[in-house]
Amino acid sequence: MIRLESFLVLSAILFSLGVYGVLARRHAVLILMSVELMLNAASINMVAFAAYTSPERFTGVIFAIFIITVAAAEVGLALAIVLRLFRNRTTANVDEVHQLKW
Amino acid sequence: MTVTEVIFYFIAAATVLGAFGVVATGRVAYAALSLVFTLLAVAALYILLASEFLALVQVLLYAGGVAVLLLFALMLTRARELVPVLDGAQKPFAVVAGLSLMGVLISMVFLTTWPRRADEPTLINFNAIGDRLFRDFALPFEVASLVLLVALVGSIVLARIEEEEEE
Amino acid sequence: MGMEQAWLIPAIPAAAAGILILFGKYLPRKGDWLSVLAIGTSFVLFFFVLHDLTDALARGGEFTAVHSGREWVRIGSFNLRIGFQVDQLAAVMLAVVSFISLMVQVYSLGYMKGDKRYGWYFAVQSLFAAAMLTLVLADNFLLLYFAWEGVGLCSFLLIGHYHERRSAAEAAKKAFITTRLGDVGLLIGAILLYRSVGTFDMSTIFDAARSGQIDHAYLTAAVLLILLGAMGKSAQFPFHVWLPDAMEGPTPVSALIHAATMVVAGVYLVARTMPLFQVVDGTLVAVTAVGLITTFMSATMGLVMTDIKRVVAYSTLNSLGLMFIALGAGSVTVALLYVFTHAFFKALLFLASGSVYHATDELEVTQMGGLAKKMPVTAAVFTLGAMSMAGLVPLAGFWNKDELLLSTFENHNIFVYLAVLVSVLITALYMTRLVLLVFTGKPRNEHVYEHAREPGPAMKLPLVLLGVLTVFAGFVVFDGVGHLMGFPGGFGEFLFTHEPEAFRINAGVTASSIVLVLVGIAGGFYFWGGAAERAKAVGEAVPQVYSLLRNKFYMDDAYQWVIDRVVLVVAGVVYWYDRVIVNDTGVNGTADATRFGGFLLKFHETGLMPNYALLMTVGVVVLAVVAFIVGT
Repeated sequence: MIRLESFLVLSAILFSLGVYGVLARRHAVLILMSVELMLNAASINMVAFAAYTSPERFTGVIFAIFIITVAAAEVGLALAIVLRLFRNRTTANVDEVHQLKW
Repeated sequence: MTVTEVIFYFIAAATVLGAFGVVATGRVAYAALSLVFTLLAVAALYILLASEFLALVQVLLYAGGVAVLLLFALMLTRARELVPVLDGAQKPFAVVAGLSLMGVLISMVFLTTWPRRADEPTLINFNAIGDRLFRDFALPFEVASLVLLVALVGSIVLARIEEEEEE
Repeated sequence: MGMEQAWLIPAIPAAAAGILILFGKYLPRKGDWLSVLAIGTSFVLFFFVLHDLTDALARGGEFTAVHSGREWVRIGSFNLRIGFQVDQLAAVMLAVVSFISLMVQVYSLGYMKGDKRYGWYFAVQSLFAAAMLTLVLADNFLLLYFAWEGVGLCSFLLIGHYHERRSAAEAAKKAFITTRLGDVGLLIGAILLYRSVGTFDMSTIFDAARSGQIDHAYLTAAVLLILLGAMGKSAQFPFHVWLPDAMEGPTPVSALIHAATMVVAGVYLVARTMPLFQVVDGTLVAVTAVGLITTFMSATMGLVMTDIKRVVAYSTLNSLGLMFIALGAGSVTVALLYVFTHAFFKALLFLASGSVYHATDELEVTQMGGLAKKMPVTAAVFTLGAMSMAGLVPLAGFWNKDELLLSTFENHNIFVYLAVLVSVLITALYMTRLVLLVFTGKPRNEHVYEHAREPGPAMKLPLVLLGVLTVFAGFVVFDGVGHLMGFPGGFGEFLFTHEPEAFRINAGVTASSIVLVLVGIAGGFYFWGGAAERAKAVGEAVPQVYSLLRNKFYMDDAYQWVIDRVVLVVAGVVYWYDRVIVNDTGVNGTADATRFGGFLLKFHETGLMPNYALLMTVGVVVLAVVAFIVGT
């Protein structure tokens, strides 16, 4: 019997790795991948809670479905933005884009 | 230690390993493949949690659609340098921030009392999911479709090569 | 229409002023007729009020002033009324103010014709009359103060009517600021009385003062402050400096200010608050002293001034000083008689000198001479006014001067009496001098002489009317004449004091007065007759005295010194404080510090999204730790 904590710790590790990736990576697409990791961590959380606290209502599963939907939309948009960025500045590295300041 | 537990730890190790590969590898292509690997591992976790449908969606949409999209993005934005530097200047701080966040989250997990469950999780059948999605979550479902539409239109507008740019 | 409707008397000119200020330029003739009509209506209404008042008096018994008006503001126990009262004192003042205002406005129709701000002039004239009529009728100190400031404002506007001319603007400013010094006194005095009695209502305050409810030191301070206000408005020493300069305004304005509206307000105030002065010992002595100094200074300066209007202005100062002496003797009756008769001949003098100026465009008497041939009517009425001012029998000025001498003879010591006698002599001297220099002898300036001509009918009518009144107004002192003119029991009986004073003739006093006036006139002829050789000789014999008088006792220079060395220095310090401490440090300093802080802080914005994300993460972690620590 797997304990709920196991899923939660796994989710925490996955989320922290995603955060690290967002902070450390400079390539926009890699950052996007790290965001996907974070989303997955959140999904695991939801589904685990659903299975352990209210399996007959499984609201967490529904949430996970919506998360996947939104992630698909997000990736589509992000891809378009990265393309535009690359076309305008011939780079997809976020640390080379810093005009938005004084 | 039951068989299920062994399987869980195996899958969990695979997930973490894949995720580590996504954030740590020096090659973009490896990172993308690691991501696909991780996503598939997460799908396996969903099966462990008795959500077949979710696992299916994860494999089809995520490992299939999203990962392929990301690979396209990587190809289209190929870096100029031959051996691209993938990590930024603030990597050391990112390590500290990531580790401290992990510490906070894990300590929270262990400091909280969670409900326990005796029986094995029952399988959630497809009919029940459809029932719940279209009965109780009809409005969010419609909104989600609208979000997808907007994202679609927005992506096209952003990615399209405008006429004055061609000149 | 009775005493309860007395508020209409100031309300009508006030309404006219409002209409003229707002719509004056759209009206035919710029609305001058409206102004004249309004003051004329007020003058007619005055007779209804007077009739009602005499009826009430004839009924006998204890007469108390009739109050009317309504509540204006009520804040807790603080109650402010727009309250009017009619009594004998108010009635006499109403007569003077409304009649002289009417005469001046009719005269202005001719005098101001073609002026750039013709409509504005009449609007302010109406406002001036309204303010003065309110002042006279007010039954509480706050409304009185309100009207008091209104009078000050209007005089400022009218003196500065030709404000393109720097001297006129300066004179208006001088008048406003100088009287303002006194006004502050009146305001503080009124507030002191309010604090001790709890009301602004005059009769209540007088009752409280008589019954000793007000702390003596408090009351003394209040009375002296009120006297200060009266001194400022009535141009008493040391505030007299503004009045001669006020000649910069149009001549009808001078007439109005001198005869009816502005300067007699101070005399009226002292007369109105006489019960307070009588309660506090010594304040009447102060009134007398002020009056004496003013009389002496103005009379001597009048001897040497060469501007026709200024000489008349100094004669006004002279008269105001005498009125204060009369008030100092505690004789409201004599002071009011003086105001009443003085109004006619002073208005006459100014309007006549205005005619001279209107025709010749010249104010310097050294440029005139022999004008009597060209403008006989003006010369006649001016001479009439001047002789009345000098106090020649039987003109109006004689009677009040006689009564004044009598009251000082009986109420003051012999020194005051003699001083007044000397002033009578000097007044006769310089009024004679003025008439001789302007209207007789050889023309000193052919250009001026050629332009001299009689004024038009609008100007001549008031001149003649006032001339007639100058001859006859003095006869009100006789009970029978006063009765005929509508004051039952004669002027003295009519005017309220505690025990009505009848006018009497003391043979010795009268004889000395007549003799001195004649001596003065003869002296005038002796010194300034012909080419005025003898006067010049006297002036050269005592050059120090001459220049002292020419320079107005150096009062203006003294004030200028104080302004330059004290006021401007203090103002400079205040200015420096305001500029450097308040503005540069307090206001700009805060702004600059904020801006510099922003300048320094803006560099933490790198524009790099990873940095922002890192900080967000750190923030979340820190918040989580803090929440954990605080939560347990």
